[in-house]
Amino acid sequence: MSEQDSTSKRFVFPRWANYALPGIVLMVLGGGLYLPVALGLGASPKTTAVGYAPTQPIPYSHALHAGKLGIDCRYCHTTVESAAFAAIPPTQTCMNCHASIKTDSPYLAPLRESWKSGKPVEWVKIHDLPDYAYFNHSAHINHGVGCVSCHGRIDQMDVVAQAMPLSMGWCLECHREPEKHLRPLDKVTAMGWKATEHPIAKEKNITDPVEAQLAVGKALKQEYRIHDINYMQACYTCHR
Amino acid sequence: MSQVEHHQTGLAYWRSLEQLADTPQVRALVEQEFPGYDASSIATTSRRKFLKIMGAALALSGLTLTGCRRWPKEKLVPHTVSPQGSVPGALEMYATNWEQGGVAHPLLVTSFDGRPIKIEGNPTHPFSWTIKDKMGSADAFAQASVLEMYDPQRSRYVVDRRGSAPKETNWEAFAGFAKTHFAGLKNNPGTFAILSESSSSPSAQDMKKRLLAVFPQAKWYEYEPVSRDNEVEGSRLAFGKAVRTRLNIDKAKVVVSLDADLLGTHPAHVRYAGDWAQRRRSGDEGEMIRVYMAEAGFSVTGTVADVRIAVDPSRLYVIGAAIAGAVGVNIGDQKGEPKLTDLEKKFVEGAIADLKAAGSDAIVTAGPSAAPVVHALAHAINAKIGAAGKTVTLLEDPAGDQPTHIASITALTKAIDAGQVQTLLILGGNPAYDAPVDLAFEKALAKVANSIHLALYDDETSRLCKWHLPRAHYLESWGDARAWDGSAGITQPLIEPLFGGKSVIELLAMLAGDEVSTGEAIVRRTWKDQFIRGGDFERDFRRALEAGLLYNTGYKTVTANVTATSFAAPAAGKGFYIKFQADSHTYDGRFANNGWLQETHDPITKLVWDNAAIISVADAKQLGLDYGDIIKIEVGGRFMEIAAFPQPGQPVGVITLPLGYGRTAAGHVGDKLGFNTYSIRASGAPFVASDAKVTKTGAKYTLATTQTHDLIDEVGAKGREDRIGKKGETGVIVREATLKEFKKDPEAPHAKSEGHLSLQLFNGVTDKMRDPHAWGMAVDLNTCIGCNACVVACYAENNIPIVGKDQVLMHRQMNWIRIDRYFKGAPEDTSIEVVHQPMMCVHCENAPCEQVCPVAATVHDTEGLNTMVYNRCIGTRYCSNNCPYKVRRFNYFDFHSKDPRTGAGEPWVGMPDTQQREQIDPIKAMVFNPDVTVRMRGVMEKCTYCTQRLSRAKIAKRNAANAAGKPDQAMLLDGEVMTACQQACPTQAIVFGNLNDKNAKVTQLHLKNERAYDVLGELNTRPRTRYLAKLRNPSDETAATTKDHG
Repeated sequence: MSEQDSTSKRFVFPRWANYALPGIVLMVLGGGLYLPVALGLGASPKTTAVGYAPTQPIPYSHALHAGKLGIDCRYCHTTVESAAFAAIPPTQTCMNCHASIKTDSPYLAPLRESWKSGKPVEWVKIHDLPDYAYFNHSAHINHGVGCVSCHGRIDQMDVVAQAMPLSMGWCLECHREPEKHLRPLDKVTAMGWKATEHPIAKEKNITDPVEAQLAVGKALKQEYRIHDINYMQACYTCHR
Repeated sequence: MSQVEHHQTGLAYWRSLEQLADTPQVRALVEQEFPGYDASSIATTSRRKFLKIMGAALALSGLTLTGCRRWPKEKLVPHTVSPQGSVPGALEMYATNWEQGGVAHPLLVTSFDGRPIKIEGNPTHPFSWTIKDKMGSADAFAQASVLEMYDPQRSRYVVDRRGSAPKETNWEAFAGFAKTHFAGLKNNPGTFAILSESSSSPSAQDMKKRLLAVFPQAKWYEYEPVSRDNEVEGSRLAFGKAVRTRLNIDKAKVVVSLDADLLGTHPAHVRYAGDWAQRRRSGDEGEMIRVYMAEAGFSVTGTVADVRIAVDPSRLYVIGAAIAGAVGVNIGDQKGEPKLTDLEKKFVEGAIADLKAAGSDAIVTAGPSAAPVVHALAHAINAKIGAAGKTVTLLEDPAGDQPTHIASITALTKAIDAGQVQTLLILGGNPAYDAPVDLAFEKALAKVANSIHLALYDDETSRLCKWHLPRAHYLESWGDARAWDGSAGITQPLIEPLFGGKSVIELLAMLAGDEVSTGEAIVRRTWKDQFIRGGDFERDFRRALEAGLLYNTGYKTVTANVTATSFAAPAAGKGFYIKFQADSHTYDGRFANNGWLQETHDPITKLVWDNAAIISVADAKQLGLDYGDIIKIEVGGRFMEIAAFPQPGQPVGVITLPLGYGRTAAGHVGDKLGFNTYSIRASGAPFVASDAKVTKTGAKYTLATTQTHDLIDEVGAKGREDRIGKKGETGVIVREATLKEFKKDPEAPHAKSEGHLSLQLFNGVTDKMRDPHAWGMAVDLNTCIGCNACVVACYAENNIPIVGKDQVLMHRQMNWIRIDRYFKGAPEDTSIEVVHQPMMCVHCENAPCEQVCPVAATVHDTEGLNTMVYNRCIGTRYCSNNCPYKVRRFNYFDFHSKDPRTGAGEPWVGMPDTQQREQIDPIKAMVFNPDVTVRMRGVMEKCTYCTQRLSRAKIAKRNAANAAGKPDQAMLLDGEVMTACQQACPTQAIVFGNLNDKNAKVTQLHLKNERAYDVLGELNTRPRTRYLAKLRNPSDETAATTKDHG
């Protein structure tokens, strides 16, 4: 009610109003600073989680198993060709070998504990898409998208880190131009595959890797009947 | 002023009396965006308060930095040993059987990573298929039962109430008690009684025998509040023994039903509805079944009957006797009997003419509320016209020489009162709530020294018992059951008991000291003894398990001669008749805590979250009643107060009281809803009571019915008039014709319509479809019965939240598919006509919603789907405003975490708006379909044509095609993908498929069927869902009378 009382008197600007003008100028200038900072932070790898490499309960090395020992991805991730999820191997899969190899390694203690108790090893999810995006491994694997395209050189990672931004913009890059990433179905899990090795590239004698990929990718896009761009970037293709 | 007193708009089709009356109040209601909520309350909020709230909101949203952090860390938890063949994230289907009222419903349950999430009908079982195109269907109750399993309020503990305060304990404690107590009983027999639900389970029957062998003098009683006692009694009257009838509607030309709701509530209604629909679709070839219905209240069957008459229950006998006499049944002297009224005479004459013409291709049947003698008459007529053995198959009745349910519970109560029962074991059911009121069962129960109740919930009965035992849900336990024809099927568990419950057979095994204790072992033993004798048991058992039934195990066919010689009239009553019937939401009360069912609109009244006294329009006028006026009903010296619901088509002098409401211990969702009509239901008149007195009390009650939703306001009505003139009042949304008219002129259904309109903005642009798939749907109004199976299917498939009664009153319910029920004719005319029209997003090619979205959150995809992108939506609701079909739903709150029973409070503050994951009960969240996004507050949603199902099917098909080296064969064939509503529909009224496939059923219907039309086609929306006009098949006599009224 004090507001009403004050209306009867003559209005006088309060003392702090003297600072209003310099304040406004500062805010305008600050706005110029704010935008680049906000955009820069938003696009930084820290935000997009590239390089995200949490500590796992067992320091499992893909560089050793997939790289040095050359175990195929599908030995452990069995359902990658047939289902939306690429299955995380059950303890049993590890024990196939580790029942007799490195049986007393302290690193493997959680594994042995799991085998004994029947309680699963709880791995931390690294490649974590938002819940409203429905990625299907089998749809990609069966149409010539290699593991490496999204997961990077897993065979060289001692600790798995997220290699790609996994953002919608990044997904769409490939959905719009799949020819830049397609490879023959039998080379999907081959980490070091080069398009220049492909018969098409050899036949045409293309040595530039980018051009070779384009030549191979365009042929495969036809062969695998990859949807056209309109389908590939329709909302319901990934969101439900 | 009562709204029922006006009808002046002259609308041909209308959904509620208010709409027809078009009173100023209704107009005001239509103008309000959220009826019942005063939007101006926001405007009166002081400026200070508004700034305070907004400032706080801004500060909080900044503080939490919601946009700038990685979402919660997730764990990947594999198996330690993978079960053979398990694929994470793949859907698995298991056949099982669910028993309701002693009859099995064959089901196919979809399980995702060990969680059952969706229930369909079992397509290999004759009682959920429709012969021609096998497609499993399950009714609304069966589909909603999955929510019951994940109900966080199901009982989790054994409760010991022997002391002064109830004590939550465990099975060991009960086992300790049982061991000593039941050992003592062996030496002290005769004081042990068991009260069971009706059950056809061979294993339960076997365990019953074993228990009675251990306790030879124990007495076994059976009680089911919604029973078919009259039907069994009627067959005893006719044949001298109990006989079950199985109707072959697929072979019938004429069905005369005396109050039998064959398509809606009959235990075999899924199959019957399928058979009926097949005989109805043949209308396109110019021949169609004709259903005569004389009924004492509106039923699902009544709404689709070709000739319907509403009569009070005593007239069923008069009508039945008149038909029987005409076809040559010796019904004795009818001189003293009442005469037929003019309307009844017309009905009966039509029925007799058709019965005589159809000969043995006809069926006469009677319903559970018809007196036994009416059933006997029906049997006699069927025998006389030669239907018995052809369209009517008589089977051995498992009820055999059992007393009726009412007699059984009466005997038990008497035994308790006489002090003859010291130990009472109650297996399921809820007799303290639903036993006839005159027995005062709850008082008797309190007297029993040792009472034990096995139940899903710690309910009314459990609270009066000394022990409550948690029952395992049927999805959690082994068992078996027999379908209407007796086909035996196995119930298999989909998940371990969530709350440690036990099934009936396991409890019986425990008490009988059986050598086997697990459900599986009991079922296997029974099946080895009774069904799979000899041969490879393991192989045959697994086959039966996989198929969901063992073939050729039905009840034996019997040939019975009608031995009855006199069909004496039942004692006629006077005054108001009261008809008790199962409710479409709660059945007999058992589903009270099921939110999906509570919020699914009743097929006829469109009520949600309540029951009400359904009263005829003429009676309502006489008593001065409006919707929600509380009336006092006095009958048999008892009275109750209940809200009235004036219902067109309800017979004069009859009040229908749905059972199953007014519960006090159902759980949080279902407690204290509606009115407990059991409070005036006595053992002498469990189905129909007469001589009731009805008075208006003057009190008011708010009923939530969706029949008044989405009315067109003045602006809309004017716009429509500009386009199509007065045609909007004669039917552009619904189209229909009689079969006769249709045969004469296939364009007849469209005669009153505006004609097809398909303007193109640019010349030469055609709807060329680039993609192999162009999805479309056809909805057949001729076969839709309004049964709600599709509505519940959609709730389950698409993670649709329930909102609660207060929000429904503001038109905020979320169901993506609704069924609009239109009346045609004058409201007092009791033979008023009805049309059911399922309505969901019709996926316009020229979509009005897309044109107004400022952020392109709703756009088209290449397969013709009008897609809804939740993450883009900013909640302007422009799309919903611009949608002429009113099928878009907006998440005003985070409804999944909002309690449906508490109001929203102040609209802008105090609403549940924290992270969803923390708010939704983790047990409740288990029912979510992981293929569908759980929508957040502030976004629009609507039917997606089940895009998740399309994606799954397309990906699987393409993978298979590529693997086979034939990548060009990736197009889905007809039937390889079904929407949830299509799969649930028992009459196949919903057909979905690929319009690019010329042979697909949907393409044929769209292009070739003469009944096909676009709803609101004059708007040039070019919908992908087309509707097929309804055909009626009135007899010539009755056609004349309906015209008089129309």
